[in-house]
Amino acid sequence: MLTRDLVLAALFAAIIVVLGLLPPIMLGFISVPITAQSLGVMLAGVVLGAKRGTIAVLLVLLLAAIGLPVLSGGRGGLGVFAAPTTGYLIGWVAAAFVTGFLSEKLVKREQPGLVQGTGFFISALLGGVVVLYAFGVTYLALVTGMGFVKAFLGSLAFIPGDALKALVAALAGRAVMVGYPLLPQRA
Amino acid sequence: MKTLYVEGNTFLHRMSSRVKLLCLAATSVVLFAVQSTPVLGLLCLASALLYLLLRLPPKDAWARLRPVLLTIIVVGLFTLVVDSATQAAVFVLRLTSLMLLAATVTATTGIAEFMDEVTRLATPLERIGLVKASDIGLAVGLVIRFVPEVLARYQAIRDAHHARGLRPRILTLAVPMIILTLRNADEIASAIDARGLRGHK
Repeated sequence: MLTRDLVLAALFAAIIVVLGLLPPIMLGFISVPITAQSLGVMLAGVVLGAKRGTIAVLLVLLLAAIGLPVLSGGRGGLGVFAAPTTGYLIGWVAAAFVTGFLSEKLVKREQPGLVQGTGFFISALLGGVVVLYAFGVTYLALVTGMGFVKAFLGSLAFIPGDALKALVAALAGRAVMVGYPLLPQRA
Repeated sequence: MKTLYVEGNTFLHRMSSRVKLLCLAATSVVLFAVQSTPVLGLLCLASALLYLLLRLPPKDAWARLRPVLLTIIVVGLFTLVVDSATQAAVFVLRLTSLMLLAATVTATTGIAEFMDEVTRLATPLERIGLVKASDIGLAVGLVIRFVPEVLARYQAIRDAHHARGLRPRILTLAVPMIILTLRNADEIASAIDARGLRGHK
């Protein structure tokens, strides 16, 4: 791996940590407070692509595991991996990978803005919502023994918020692509 | 960034970090294998005693557990409603014990010790060419180094919003923060290579 890719992943990990330090922010168009950290996971895929985005997320989880309070709300330590919601943390890795992989496939530099934005939105929605919830719900169902259907119904309330985050990630991803393009990866 | 490690000289601090992590892994397997509520209750009590042995200030001891404990309780209540009381009890006791033990390991193991273990665990991966074990330490160091910088940048962008009478919004905050931060990547990468920190290829 090139040093530049390593540095990009580390810098993005720092961005994800900082997004977790912020108090819940209001979305621009609707007044719903959202925690920005899971947005950071989608952004990692959208901005950096599959490989570097996945490494950024892995770094954040590693920092949390070795005892740094890097997750939103100042959470950290091995204890956060003993929560019923740990599946979502593990799912972050897959979410960043799928979001990044699809972004690399769907979005091309020469496309018009609307197509790029839509491509990013589809990527973030499939990676950051569908894949993420597949991990989160499966873990919740297994650890509580309540079964998939009930675990899914219990998580349903959070899906609209995460779908909105995918939209924000798509808009931000396109804006970053215009200002400082990193996709496709420079070899 | 303040770590969750606590200075101390209990037998848990002196124990090797590898033994602690292996014990934690073994206990988690046991916890998920045991189905009986009384046994799990005893294990949970033992874990709580171990955690109390650290003699953390009560406020800090509680603050460390609160976020995870809250989600366990919320999900426990949900399980109680949609399933049986036994199932809810098994789930709550199991995860609470695991959380207490994990918090104990975190409070008694320093970052350097953890990183030694992580690097050692990564060595087999290095052999198959997946990662360079020393890169992990470098990357972790970089993240810790740059969090304050990114935070300062975020605050500057927020102040710029206020100075212009704009309400800070996630899009107008995140985009400049990402671009300004990632723009440094080339410089940092050359600095690392110039110092030969990643060795010769």
